Amino acid sequence: MTTSAQTVRAPARARTAAAGATVRRKQGFQHGGWFVAPFLALFALFVIWPLLRGLYLSLTDANISGDAAHFIGLDNYREALNDPLMWDSLGHSAYFTLLVVPCITVLAFLLAMLAHHIERAKWLWRLCFFAPFLLPSTVTGNLWQWLFNPGTGMVNHVFGIETPWLTDKSYAMLAVVICTLWWTVGFSFLLYLAALQGIPAHLYEAAKLDGANAWHRMVHITLPMLRNITGLVVALQILASLQVFDQAVVMMDFGPGPEDSTRTFVQYTLEQGFTSYRVGYASAISIIFFVIIAAVALARMWLLRNREEGGR
Amino acid sequence: MGRPDLNRRQLLGGLGGLLVAGSFGFAALGTGADALAAGAQTRVRYWNLFSGGDGYNMIAMLDSFREENPGIDVKDSTLQWGSPFYTKLAMAAAGNRAPDLGVMHLGRVTGFAPGRLLDPWDVELLAKYGVREADFNPVLWKRAVIDGKLYALPLDIHVQLCFYRKDVLKKAGLLGDDGRIVPVTSTDEWFDVLKEAKKATKKGLQTLGLHANDQNFMWWFFVAFYTQLGGTFFNAADTEVTFDTDKAVQVLQFLRRHVTDGYSTAGAADGEQFINGAPFTWEGNWSVPVFSGAKLDYGATPLPPVFGRQATHAESHSFVLPHQSDRGGATNEGAHRLAAYVVKHARQWAAGGHIPAYTPTLSTAAYKKLSPQNEYVSAMDHQATEPKVWFAGSTGILAQRVGPVVVSASMGSAKPESAARRMKSTLAQLLAMKNPMDGHTAAQGGALA
Repeated sequence: MTTSAQTVRAPARARTAAAGATVRRKQGFQHGGWFVAPFLALFALFVIWPLLRGLYLSLTDANISGDAAHFIGLDNYREALNDPLMWDSLGHSAYFTLLVVPCITVLAFLLAMLAHHIERAKWLWRLCFFAPFLLPSTVTGNLWQWLFNPGTGMVNHVFGIETPWLTDKSYAMLAVVICTLWWTVGFSFLLYLAALQGIPAHLYEAAKLDGANAWHRMVHITLPMLRNITGLVVALQILASLQVFDQAVVMMDFGPGPEDSTRTFVQYTLEQGFTSYRVGYASAISIIFFVIIAAVALARMWLLRNREEGGR
Repeated sequence: MGRPDLNRRQLLGGLGGLLVAGSFGFAALGTGADALAAGAQTRVRYWNLFSGGDGYNMIAMLDSFREENPGIDVKDSTLQWGSPFYTKLAMAAAGNRAPDLGVMHLGRVTGFAPGRLLDPWDVELLAKYGVREADFNPVLWKRAVIDGKLYALPLDIHVQLCFYRKDVLKKAGLLGDDGRIVPVTSTDEWFDVLKEAKKATKKGLQTLGLHANDQNFMWWFFVAFYTQLGGTFFNAADTEVTFDTDKAVQVLQFLRRHVTDGYSTAGAADGEQFINGAPFTWEGNWSVPVFSGAKLDYGATPLPPVFGRQATHAESHSFVLPHQSDRGGATNEGAHRLAAYVVKHARQWAAGGHIPAYTPTLSTAAYKKLSPQNEYVSAMDHQATEPKVWFAGSTGILAQRVGPVVVSASMGSAKPESAARRMKSTLAQLLAMKNPMDGHTAAQGGALA
C-alpha cells in the first residue's frame, strides 16, 4: 500500500534536513495543534474518559443509582467468563457476523458488477442498490417486521409459505440477517463500484487482444485488482456486524427474540447496565467485548501486513 | 449577492445575537413551566407510566382532583412503560431529583431498594385522607409492606382473563342460563369446551388466543396454573428453591397441548382474531376497553380453574414515594392527598379493566353494573403472584429469565421435563444472585432503613 511506502521514505527525508525540519515541525504543530484541539477535547471527553471510567467501574460493584461502589477486583470478569447468558449473546453476535459477512461481500460484488456493466439507466441501479442504506435503523426494523409478519407479511405471501420468521428461534436470526443484507449492502456495493471504475480499461483491452474471454478477465484482472477493497469490505463488515443491535431489537419489539435467540452482545450489555442496574458488571462485559473487537481488528492488520510482505 | 453590504462580521454578529436571544427565550420558557398554577400553594410532581386508555382515565382523575383541590398544583409526567421507566426513576431518586409521587408495579417494589430509593408512606396521613389498611385485600396490602413499613399504596390489580365470545359459545351450547360460560373444573372439561367451541368457529380462526410465543403471557399463565396446583417457588425465608418440577411439567404440558391439539396458532394476532370471531382469548384485563369498543358480545372470567382451584395471575399498579432527602411538609402531604384521592376514586380507573384495589369501590352499585368487570372481580380473592423477591415483578429479571424457558416448552422446542429442570436451575441462580442496589441476596432482603 502507498502508506507503508511513505513511512519508509519519510525518515530518510527527515535525516537530510534535520535542523530545518525541527523548526518547521514545531511551528507546524503549533498551528495544526489549534485545529486539532477541538477534536482532541471532544475525543478525550467522549472516548478516552468514558473508556477509563468504564475500566474503573468494571472493577467495582457499581449500580445505576450511583451510590458508593466497592472495589471488587476481578470478580466481575470472573463472573462474566462463567455467565452462560454472556456466552450465548456473544454466540448470537458471532453467528450473525458469520452469516452476514460472506453474504454481503458476495452480494455487494455481484451488484457492483451488474451496475458497472449495465448500459441503460445506470443512475437508477445505483440508486436502487444504495437507497436502503440511507434509512434509519428503526425504520428498517419496522419495515421488515411488517414484511415478515406471518399472516399479512409480503415475504410469506410472495413465496406462498407460512414461516414464523420472527417468532420461531430457528428463523429469527435469519430474518435479522436478511433485513441487514438489504439495508447495508449498499455501502459495500458503493466501495466495490468505485474500485471497479478505478481499474484501468487498457488492462482489459490488452487481455482481450491476447484472447482472454469474459470469465478469464474477471478471474485474472477484476478479482485481483479488487483484492484490497475486498479486504476492506470484509474488515468493516466484521466490525460492524459484531456490534449488531438496533435493527435486531426493533424487529423483536425491544425484546431478546424468541427464546432469547436474537439477544446480541450489545443488547446484553445494555440489559445488564440499564434494566438490571449492574453498571459495574455491564462495564466488565463491555471491556471484554472491546478486547474481542480490538483483537479482530489487530488480527486483520497483522494478516494484511504478512500478506504484503510475502507478496513483495 | 443581493445584499453586498452584509459582511462576514455583521453576519456572525447577527447569528450570535440570535443565539443569545434564543437562549433567553428558552430560559423564559423554563420559568414559565416551573411557575405554580394560579392560586396554588403547593406543587406535586407525579410520574406515571400510563398511556392509551389508562392514560386518558388517569388524566381525567387528576383533573377532577385539581378541581377539588385548587391549592395543589399537580404536575404530571407520563413516561414510556417498561424497564426504561424504572431506570429513570432509580436514577432520579439516586440523584435526589425524584418526583414527589410515582407509580410502580407492586412486584418491583421489593427490588427497588425500599428505604433508600423509596420512602415509606405515612399511614396516619393516608388515614387522614380516608385510606386505611382495612379497605384493601389483606394479601395485597401485605405485599406492599416491607419490614413493617408500607412502601406502596396499591391502586389496582390487573389480571389475566379468559375472554369468550357469547355469540359463538351460544351456538356451541356452552353458555349457561345466566348468559355466562359453563363452569370448567378440570383440564378434560376445558378441552371438551374447546372441542365444542371449535366446531362453532368460523373457518380460518383459531379457537383460543394463547400468546404461545409471548414470554410475558406464557410466564403469567404459568404462574396462574402452577399456583392452582399449589406450587411454590421458594421457601418462606427465601433460602431454598421449592420449585416442584412435576407440577411444572403438568402446567407446561397443559399449555403445550393447546398448540398440538390445534386450538391455538403460535404467532397469530390473538386480539384481532377474537374480534373477528375466535371464541376464546386469554388476555390481560386491559383489553376490556378494546373489546367493548369493538361492540362485541363477550364475557370475561378469571383463567379457568382447570387444576381444581381458582387462581389467576395478578400484578398491581401502586403509588410510591421516590426517595427525597428532604421529604416532608406540604408537598409530601399533597402527594399523600393526591394518591389517596385517586385510590378512592378508582371507579373511572375500572373502566380500563383494572380491578380497583380500594375494596369499598367494588361494592358500589356503579361498579357492580360494569360488565364484564362484575364477572371477574372475584379474581381479587384468588391472586397468583410472583414470589416477593427483589428480582420479581412486571418485566423484571425473573420474567426475563424464566419466560423464554416456558415459551420453549409451549412452542415445542424443548420437552416439558427439560424445560421444568431449566426453570428450577434458573431459580436457583437467581436466588444466589445479589440485588445490585444493595448487595443483598433475596434471603438477606428487606428494607434499608
